[in-house]
Amino acid sequence: MFLSFFSDLIEQEFMLRALISGLILGVIAPLIGSIVVIRRLSFIADTLGHFSLVGISVSLFLSVTVPGTLSVILSENPLYFGITLSVLGGLLIEFFRRYYKNYKEISMVIVMSMGTALSAIFLSVSGKTGTLYNYMFGSILTISWDSVIMIGIAAILVFFLFAFFGRQIISVSFDENNAKFLGVNRGLFQIIFIIMLSLVVSVMLESAGVLLISSMMIIPIAASMKIGWSYRSTTAIAIVFSELSVIIGLWASYSIHLPSGAAIVSVNVIILVLVALIRRVVLKRNIAKHPTEPME
Amino acid sequence: MQIDINNLSFAYGHKLVLDKLSLTLNPGSFLVIRGKNGTGKSTLIKCLLGINLVKNGMIFFDHNDVNNFKGWTTVGYVSQVIDEFNYEFPLTVNELLSITKLRKVKENRKLKLLDQMGILEILNENIGSLSGGQLQRVFIVKSILNHPSLLILDEPTASIDKNNVEYFYETVNQLHSEGTTIILITHDEYLDCYNYSHVLQMNPDLSYAFRKRTATEEKEAE
Ligand SMILES: Nc1ncnc2c1ncn2[C@@H]1O[C@H](COP(=O)(O)OP(=O)(O)O)[C@@H](O)[C@H]1O
Ligand SMILES: [Mg+2]
Repeated sequence: MFLSFFSDLIEQEFMLRALISGLILGVIAPLIGSIVVIRRLSFIADTLGHFSLVGISVSLFLSVTVPGTLSVILSENPLYFGITLSVLGGLLIEFFRRYYKNYKEISMVIVMSMGTALSAIFLSVSGKTGTLYNYMFGSILTISWDSVIMIGIAAILVFFLFAFFGRQIISVSFDENNAKFLGVNRGLFQIIFIIMLSLVVSVMLESAGVLLISSMMIIPIAASMKIGWSYRSTTAIAIVFSELSVIIGLWASYSIHLPSGAAIVSVNVIILVLVALIRRVVLKRNIAKHPTEPME
Repeated sequence: MQIDINNLSFAYGHKLVLDKLSLTLNPGSFLVIRGKNGTGKSTLIKCLLGINLVKNGMIFFDHNDVNNFKGWTTVGYVSQVIDEFNYEFPLTVNELLSITKLRKVKENRKLKLLDQMGILEILNENIGSLSGGQLQRVFIVKSILNHPSLLILDEPTASIDKNNVEYFYETVNQLHSEGTTIILITHDEYLDCYNYSHVLQMNPDLSYAFRKRTATEEKEAE
């Protein structure tokens, strides 16, 4: 079973596309995820996923209303609208966050409900509710080269951002009050980060699915946080967990026909549970070994 | 850095905390702020740093209105409580210190300061596992890594134990001798350990006294 999976990985083009996009997402999801976790923005990632779906639905709706080649472009590449709407959603959240200063989480509920309602409406009037399932739970096996390229571009942007501004990003995330003394404009920083996050969320839409995007970003970090000893090691371990989940998830998706996002996230969850269990056992053993060690 | 405060008043809601406070500090001064709890010491500092928005009165850094001040990267600050920091995510002391400033921090200086403050051995430890005193010293080192021209410290020795506080005095005095302007809030009985030049005494009735260090104080210090 595994053997045919690996030979197909190389021989079948759709498998190659799935593998490439999966492996790239396996790196950028936890990388962005680490910052999302530190800044306590987990719900924003989720909300953006829902809003990104609005773009997909609008695109599908337009594809059945406009004639000719434009219609084909719209139905085959709904991701362009997805990205646009995700970024718009990010800016909306930011707007509402500043509007309800003391109740920031309200902003997410507003944007999330708007997103869910609008996508349901556009999908149902376009008559393409059949595709909904794929966008909910992800279908990495049907991903197009166009989407792979988008994922690649998003990854390059993320790497660029981390390579040049990594220290500021990490520093401001750990201690927002510190931004000023680094010469970083907090408001601008927040907007740039949200736009970046929106971009990553929307390119993850096809493979991870709306419901599972934030899990793919956050669960590997949640697991590695408990065993990492530094920011670097924590992120590196998360990337390893994430890649492992992608490969196993891809296999499950291919050979037992599970939705890819669901399969990948399930493996992530299994790793999280294993890490928690192993850590407990190790800790208990250490305590048994050095019962009198001072705590400090 | 020269600091001018002109008729500064500040209130949280209806509660007036600072009432028409004025003072001038020349570059290289060392101001000690004293006063009972709740007399507005931290509030004053937060006004200086633009954390509290000043509506009544003016503050100038090197003759620039604080609201238009651009040189924040040359200011070092350690707050009284460092509670907004994210301790749960793994981060080593070394990582914290190397991601602190825009310019790359000189490795030597970092190690020297950590050594001076008696915390060199925790360089690779997770900040989440440090004691309060260790953490406070790490944040002090962080604030002075880049030779700030203004250093503001809000009760920096509160959780450092007696044995290690000496190193702190030395470090601050040394920075002062190198030309850094220092503003320090302290309850320390050992005021003599600092080479301060000015004292601001803040009182519960919102009155205050600003003065230079007296000759007798100088003598007692020796
Ligand atoms: N964020 C705040 N909101 C409302 N009141 C505050 C706030 N911070 C401080 N205060 C009040 O202002 C007064 C001065 O506080 P503070 O400047 O912290 O005093 P100190 O640092 O001298 O102990 C206190 O009565 C305190 O309760
Ligand atoms: Mg105080």
